[in-house]
Amino acid sequence: MFESILLPDLLLLAFPFIVIGSRLFCDFRSAFPWRVANIGFILIFIMLNMIPLASGEGHFFIFNWRLDDFGVLMREVFMVSAILGIWLSKDYFEHGADGKPQMHQIAEYIGAIAFATFGAFTVVSACDLLTFFLGLEIATIPMYALTAWNKKDQMGSEAATKYILMGSVATAFELFGFSYLYGFSGSLFFNDIASAVATNSTSPLLWVSILFLFSGIGFKLTLFPFYTWAPDVYEGAPTPVTAVLSVTSKATAIAFLAVLVFGPLAAVQEQMSPLIALLAATTLLVGNLGALKQTRLRRFMAYSSISQAGYIMIALLGPAEIGKSAIVYYMFIYAVANYLAFFVFGIIGHHREETFASLRGLSKQNPALAIALAIAMFSLAGIPPLAGFFGKFHLFFAGATTGHYFLVAFAVINNVLALFYYIQLIKSAWIDEPEGTLSSLRLNRRQRLIIIMLSIAVVALGFVPFLSNNIFAGFTF
Amino acid sequence: MTNELLFSYLILFLPLLAFVVNGLFLGQKSAKGAAAMGIIGNGIGAISAVLLAVSYLTSNVAPQKAVLFEFSFLPFKAISENLSGNIGFLVDPLSVMMLVVVTFISTLVNIYSVGYMRHDRSAGRFFALLSLFTFSMLGLVVATNLFQMFIFWELVGISSYMLIGFWYHKPSAVSASKQAFILTRFADSFFLMGIVLVSYVVGSFDFSTINALSMAPFYQETINIGIATVSKASALVLGSILIFVGGWGKSAMFPMHIWLPNAMEGPTPVSSIIHSATMVVAGVYLVARLFPFFAICENTLNLIMVVGAFTMVFAAVIACTQKDIKRILAYSTLSQLGYMMFSLGVCKIDSVVAVTGYTASTFHIFTHAFFKCSLFLIAGSVIHVVHTNDLDKMGGLGAKMPWTYWCALISILAISGVPPFSGFFSKDEILLAAFQGQHYIVFALALLTSGLTTFYMFRFFFLIFHGDSRSEHVRGHKIKEDFAMTLPIVVLALPAFLSGFMAKGLFAKFSVPSSLNIPQLVSLPEAKWIPFAAIGMAVVAFCTAWLFYASPKATIPAKMQQTLDETNRCGLYKLIYRKFYFDEMYYIFVRQFIFAGVARVCRFVQDYIIEGIVAFVVWFVHRLGDLVRYAQGGSLPFYLGTLIIGLLLWRFFGQLPL
Repeated sequence: MFESILLPDLLLLAFPFIVIGSRLFCDFRSAFPWRVANIGFILIFIMLNMIPLASGEGHFFIFNWRLDDFGVLMREVFMVSAILGIWLSKDYFEHGADGKPQMHQIAEYIGAIAFATFGAFTVVSACDLLTFFLGLEIATIPMYALTAWNKKDQMGSEAATKYILMGSVATAFELFGFSYLYGFSGSLFFNDIASAVATNSTSPLLWVSILFLFSGIGFKLTLFPFYTWAPDVYEGAPTPVTAVLSVTSKATAIAFLAVLVFGPLAAVQEQMSPLIALLAATTLLVGNLGALKQTRLRRFMAYSSISQAGYIMIALLGPAEIGKSAIVYYMFIYAVANYLAFFVFGIIGHHREETFASLRGLSKQNPALAIALAIAMFSLAGIPPLAGFFGKFHLFFAGATTGHYFLVAFAVINNVLALFYYIQLIKSAWIDEPEGTLSSLRLNRRQRLIIIMLSIAVVALGFVPFLSNNIFAGFTF
Repeated sequence: MTNELLFSYLILFLPLLAFVVNGLFLGQKSAKGAAAMGIIGNGIGAISAVLLAVSYLTSNVAPQKAVLFEFSFLPFKAISENLSGNIGFLVDPLSVMMLVVVTFISTLVNIYSVGYMRHDRSAGRFFALLSLFTFSMLGLVVATNLFQMFIFWELVGISSYMLIGFWYHKPSAVSASKQAFILTRFADSFFLMGIVLVSYVVGSFDFSTINALSMAPFYQETINIGIATVSKASALVLGSILIFVGGWGKSAMFPMHIWLPNAMEGPTPVSSIIHSATMVVAGVYLVARLFPFFAICENTLNLIMVVGAFTMVFAAVIACTQKDIKRILAYSTLSQLGYMMFSLGVCKIDSVVAVTGYTASTFHIFTHAFFKCSLFLIAGSVIHVVHTNDLDKMGGLGAKMPWTYWCALISILAISGVPPFSGFFSKDEILLAAFQGQHYIVFALALLTSGLTTFYMFRFFFLIFHGDSRSEHVRGHKIKEDFAMTLPIVVLALPAFLSGFMAKGLFAKFSVPSSLNIPQLVSLPEAKWIPFAAIGMAVVAFCTAWLFYASPKATIPAKMQQTLDETNRCGLYKLIYRKFYFDEMYYIFVRQFIFAGVARVCRFVQDYIIEGIVAFVVWFVHRLGDLVRYAQGGSLPFYLGTLIIGLLLWRFFGQLPL
């Protein structure tokens, strides 16, 4: 029983070694590692889907590895991100894009993504601070490497340097927070910490630790004012890495916060709510303001994802069950819509620069692509009946349940701002006339298939109830 | 009832299907296909409607109402348990009658349009919209509740808008369609308020609930309607008046009548269907449908009577002077609608009702539909030949268009109320109802108007068909009557002739309002002399018309020219000819008051205050955006600094218990 439930985790742990190891036995042009990666990732995703939900407290393995419903569903989000991430990356190993040269060593690249994914798995499974911290680091360190994957690109190296320097400081913040938490409760285990927090909720030790933990994770989740690395790194990193960063890294960070806030710190959630609300409000405002005047697509997506982080934070204010389900649901939708946008950018970036100007005339040149882009943007902006609307609705609902009406109202007003810049992008694709002749766009079969699939998913996830039912009715915490 | 259910689906959804198919697929490809689709869809609907009517009227259910299907569309459970917007199919004598009329007329108009729209490039669109119009009206007729009624009421409005403005390249058509839409929408807003008020007080949209009300329990309870606290009974009376205002506008009663004559800008088949079976009778239908409810509301029926009677005389007087044949018919419709309206109104005598007026009104809806549709189709045929609407250019068509001529004669005799033609029976009933209702002034006006009707209809008739031809298109040419256009006219002549004495018994037996919660007057005074008085009026009016427009003396060209020249007339004639300057009054009101006054103030507020605020907000947000961009300068020390700044920031502003 336990073994079958643990199988996906074990497989994912062994997986990077298999993929990288397979390179030793075949020619470097061989597609074998790529095929193994595909089969493996999809297999893990299917196995995750077979784990029955509604398992209450969850299952413990040894004593510090827990599998509960939130964990399983978040694992599915991470796997979706990983699968879409490698599919998006594949093209960049075949040709250069956006003025950057071609990338190499796909097997190691996939291995790095698998390691990051396993780190994310660890975060949602941890029962003690040590595992928790380890998971976060495993999830982060491959990202530094991935950012600089394009060794011939100076921008990438610069971005990675910034990222790793700032990331180290943030990690120091987190460790500092953890050490205070340990000092406060005298234990590394979540259960002990929870009871210590419940009995002595005003201890300065506890609050110093919370302040540092939020600041540290605020870096990963791109909260205000810790987001400054994001636009530069998103811009400098190869496009597929940006996509993985904006989904996996963000999902890991929000899962980390959800585990903390609804787990060991549950007793002081009420007292933390002003801090969370402020972080959410400032982040989404600044993200939206920053996105207003961008011309580069990846930079634009960076600010967009910053503001999305602000929206997601709202769910942390809600009751555990509603908040967690809203987060899981939103992460699915966010992942799908975000990857859809990145696929479209990727195709355009293959032939042109990744800027707003390159989108001009898209609706005439390739209407299907323009429609997919519009669907992605409208979903990110939260326009009904697309999935993004329902996702945002549940986030806001979670916040409103505990009475944070002002924050919700503020977020809704900000959504108008968001709509403005998302529509700017659609305007570029649909209304603006192109300058000069357009270079042709060619889609291969994989790209076409994925774009169709993702477009359908973004449209359908909103009102086809199987997923939301699964998440909202099917699981108890 | 399985057959009935099938019929009901066919009746309602075939026109919708025709609309969808024509609108999306067939219309652009083939006008003939679209026409066939429209005719077949509406034709099967008409057959189903007749079968449904027969099977309903012969069943033991009649004259009780039956609901064939009903499903909940929009429940408002939060307000009241029973308050639910349903879509259903109501069958009772009134709705069955309307179903037959609407589908029958719609089929004939579709056939007629084959000829009329033969050379129009967008005939496909025309047939699609015609089916939508029919569908909307059918949905309105079978409505089981106010909610459904309102939905289809608006659909009727929008489809009429699109049809009146069908020739959108003509500015006059566009402005006429706008006028029709805005005026009826204006009235509809009151209708909506009435629905909200009544359904809130009653707790249901359902006609059967609303009609079964009795006022007694509502006198004690009070309700706040925003400006004042009133008893629920008063609120209901107010609600009933507001609801009637909806019908007031839709049926183009004075002073909201101006859109109807102007709506003549649409293609003639559209005028024909608007005036006979759809749209304008919707207002009368609404009043008839809610008759028991209106009856218990103190003075509502009296208001309806006054409005109806005034419109009747007013429109008839104007019709006597017009030269545009479609406008003559339009004013004639107004006048006839006035008959139907006041006939419902006269039922109320102090605190009791006599239901004869209700029967008479529904009967008149029925007979009027046929002869008015026929007259419009005839006018369309004539216009098709002469290429103008103007009586100046007509005359002498009788010999050239024999079929049209004889059918026109039948319809005109019917509308004039000459026995044994259909109009005689229904109009006689109405006069009788007015007399029995002891509203003698209204009775006298109605009698007078029946004379006026005869006069202007024969004026219409003589000037088109008799005398010498005044048009170059006709003189010396041979005219071929278009088969597709003549067939419906001939077919319609039959019910225009027969429907009166054939259906009299049916209406007397079935067409009575159900569930009246108010005492009925049973012993009504007999008045055998009324038909003779009416016929006398008709004969006098006919002779006058003949004297003016068809006698050998009057048909001398010079004399005729003088007759038709409106410029040398007295002031009163001009006043009437100019329709009492109502169009101009509206025009001035809209131009001077709304456009130059209210709209300008609003524009000022919009341009300088609201736009200013918006512009400032936009500017401010963009500056903030610049700030964020500026902070993102790429300098690592600054980035690292933000981590510390953030820590301090949340230390002080995070409201932590530190």
